[in-house]
Amino acid sequence: MVLTVSSAAAWMASFAAMVHAGAAYLTDLDSAIGDADHGANIDRGMQAVVALDPSAFESASALLKKAGMTLVSTIGGASGPLYGTFLLRVGAALPADGEVTAAVVGDALQAGLDGIVQRGRAEVGDKTMVDALAPAVAAFRASEPDGLAAALAAAARAGAEGRDATVPLVARKGRASYLGERSAGHQDPGATSVTMLLDAAATTLTA
Amino acid sequence: MIGIVVVSHSRRLADAAVALAQAAVPGARPEVAVAAGLDGTTLGTDAGAIADAIVAVDSPDGVLVFVDLGSAIMSAELALEFVDADVAGRVRITPAPLVEGLVAALVTAAGGAGVQVVEAAALAGLRPKQEHLGLPVPPAAPAGSRAGADPEPDAALHLQLVSPGPTGLHLRPLALIAKSVSPFDADVLIGTDDHEPVHADSVIELQTLGAGPGVPLYVMAAGPQARQALDALAELADRHFGEG
Repeated sequence: MVLTVSSAAAWMASFAAMVHAGAAYLTDLDSAIGDADHGANIDRGMQAVVALDPSAFESASALLKKAGMTLVSTIGGASGPLYGTFLLRVGAALPADGEVTAAVVGDALQAGLDGIVQRGRAEVGDKTMVDALAPAVAAFRASEPDGLAAALAAAARAGAEGRDATVPLVARKGRASYLGERSAGHQDPGATSVTMLLDAAATTLTA
Repeated sequence: MIGIVVVSHSRRLADAAVALAQAAVPGARPEVAVAAGLDGTTLGTDAGAIADAIVAVDSPDGVLVFVDLGSAIMSAELALEFVDADVAGRVRITPAPLVEGLVAALVTAAGGAGVQVVEAAALAGLRPKQEHLGLPVPPAAPAGSRAGADPEPDAALHLQLVSPGPTGLHLRPLALIAKSVSPFDADVLIGTDDHEPVHADSVIELQTLGAGPGVPLYVMAAGPQARQALDALAELADRHFGEG
């Protein structure tokens, strides 16, 4: 199958819409354990991404790399280099002609996850976006034989479970780690926005 | 001379830190570029802008990058992926304190030091505060850079000066002392009655002297250009260490 520019653009547009609608919710989560800017920051970044003209790109790879560069320069907070690195790596791992299999998309998502881990030095259990993204990528890989749609759906489910599992955790990375034990009992905003990215992928990259 | 980049979430914070450090370091200084804020008032860091700043002050001697809070480090590391590999290879991102480290870096870099020596000075930027407040002070300069630096007492030349009035050896005269001796191939130490000798080319070490006005300064110099270094210091003292 071909991963087209328009499907990649639809993924970004869907994520942007979810983040925009959920900006206040994300910021509320962040105000409990962070600096209360996650929703506003990602919303600003994704609004800049959806302002890109898809017709200017020859491939999904090129569009996603440009989306990553845009986030790097517009989010401002820690999510900028993290989401930016994710999309830069995903885009770079996709072939220029857009011809993909579920395994190729799995490799790209894995490259994105590896980039985030390299950038943020976070591990599963640190109460970060990795707690949603790592199990999502693992679930995707396990479901690759069932095809892209099934793998993306499995990734979204696993991501949501990982997000929910951040509630009791004590943060060990980022601003929330300054709170120590007081960070327990709150859902991680980064893991929450990651599930929006995964949900957006599941509804747009399968058509 | 190395280049210096200041990465901050706040444009105003970065600009003010640079202005403060530059006010403390008169004369020739390294190039400093600021990559801070998404714009003049929106807080945030931008890896693309950091990459541009690195390229703008890039030097064969290297580039030292200061960062404020956690995510500034991530943006700075990402920026290294956006510049040529040979440029990235001579960039160091330092955990040094922003204000104190920047002052130490400007002084040290102005003397022509390479990026590793400049970073060592910046990392030691908290020492004057720690010493003043009686906290444990980490070891001085890094191993290697000071090997054999202490002059042999027998071979050393000596000079006695007096700390200037009305405020003693505060940052500006200290910066001038460090600048005046650093061009010479000589090891120069300055001590007081209350403090063991420190390296005169390190503004960080000089700050630990805490020499008030009128305090005797005991200068010791060794090396091929010890005489020239002492002459430069004497000339500076004649000008009241730049205090008018």
